[in-house]
Amino acid sequence: MVVAKFLEKIGRMFISFLTSIGSISFFLVKTISAGVCPPYYWRQIANQAIQIGYFSLPVVGMTAIFTGMAMALQCYAGFSQFTAESGIPSVVMIAMTRELGPVLTALMVAGRLGASMTAEIGTMKVTEQIDAMTTLSVNSYKYLVFPRILTGTLLLPFLVFIDDIIGILGGYLVCVHYLDFNAANYIHNTFSSMTAWDIISGLIKGSVFGFIVCVMGCYHGYFSKRGAEGVGRATTNSVVASSILILLLDCVLTFVLF
Amino acid sequence: MNFVIEVKDLKKSFGNKEVLDGISLNISKGESYVIMGGSGTGKSVLIKCILNLIKYDSGSVKINGKEISKIPQKEMLKTLLKCGVLYQGGALFDSLNVIDNVSFGLVYGYRRPIKEAYKIALEKLEAVNLDETVSTLFPSELSGGMQKRVALARAIATDPDIIFFDEPTTGLDPITSGTINELIVKCTKELGISAMSITHDINSLKYISDRVGLLYNGKIIWEGNNKELNSSDNPYIRQFISGNPIGPFTTK
Repeated sequence: MVVAKFLEKIGRMFISFLTSIGSISFFLVKTISAGVCPPYYWRQIANQAIQIGYFSLPVVGMTAIFTGMAMALQCYAGFSQFTAESGIPSVVMIAMTRELGPVLTALMVAGRLGASMTAEIGTMKVTEQIDAMTTLSVNSYKYLVFPRILTGTLLLPFLVFIDDIIGILGGYLVCVHYLDFNAANYIHNTFSSMTAWDIISGLIKGSVFGFIVCVMGCYHGYFSKRGAEGVGRATTNSVVASSILILLLDCVLTFVLF
Repeated sequence: MNFVIEVKDLKKSFGNKEVLDGISLNISKGESYVIMGGSGTGKSVLIKCILNLIKYDSGSVKINGKEISKIPQKEMLKTLLKCGVLYQGGALFDSLNVIDNVSFGLVYGYRRPIKEAYKIALEKLEAVNLDETVSTLFPSELSGGMQKRVALARAIATDPDIIFFDEPTTGLDPITSGTINELIVKCTKELGISAMSITHDINSLKYISDRVGLLYNGKIIWEGNNKELNSSDNPYIRQFISGNPIGPFTTK
């Protein structure tokens, strides 16, 4: 009896999981088919580009600089035992460009923008603003969702690139000004071990994560129910789903790309 | 006879709860039809089903002769452009100021140039007794009555053939309610727009309606004009107008 109930629960969860995948796919098809047909809402796209690409810079920059600094300190603690300090610049660079840059940028954007997208669209949904948009003959997928997903997918790689630079700079500051490394050697060691693929793979990851964050943010907002409480729950679900998917896809992409 | 709205045997359930159980009604050009009924009887659901914002289970709804649930989305949005809606809470876009709210349908629906859309929006604001100074304010900076008036200006900005009013005077003081009622009458009588309103405000109903329907248990159980409403001995009508808690009407 207990086993049957357990299996029933598993079955229900599996069906609910498949239903969600179907629902998200349908949501995406509707969004993309609406978004690629003219007219295009350039003003909305520009607004979102500013929100994602410009206003996220401070939070991304701060995360990157502290991560780069901490990374350099941790590496020093380990590497100095084997007198392998010269490896620190390349480890910081590889960690930032391949892994920490894209993942941390995406997690910060999920917290900042994914949550705000869900809250904004969710509030519009429960206060009938999306209905009002439809009755004013405007496709809400085209006006609200498509510009966010498009700009998120295109601009997150840009944020990742900035994050890489600031993260590496953080490592440089700690090593040169605190641990007394030679500045020229540090820069040389960083760039001598850098390949274009290190940067490109991070940007690819950034683009995928940007897409995931915006899809989750918009989807959860669009299907919010039951007033303020529902919007709050949708926001939490959006950030949790985005974060888990970022970490899961990071693992998958690392397998595929390297 | 040509009707601007034709509803036939409309049914809608949410789970086991049957909200609309075979609604049929017709509204002709220039007519003001009011649906009255208690809270939670499905009045707003009826309007949303007519506007295809909620998918109904069965029946048919035609706006200007077109069954909007069965036409492509592009054509459906075009048909909706001829329908103005005044939502219960106003449903103004929080992120846009008053002028952008009012001109929204003109700019994004009709693709009119912004300057021209703003000019029309200012005229519509004037029509609802609001001057240019409010045009740069955001909805959160307006009083409830002003929000309703801006929402009404937005509803009439695209020169619709039909306007839907979802509880237009709920939550307003009697004087503001009176102003809103006058504006509704101005829209229907002077501009010749058909109107479908839902309300449980008896004073508003008597002022704005040509014909009234009473919705109860998912059905329109009584229909008549203003005169018939006053003289009706239907127990449901008598109870609804008097507001007596004892009678055939039960609130769930």
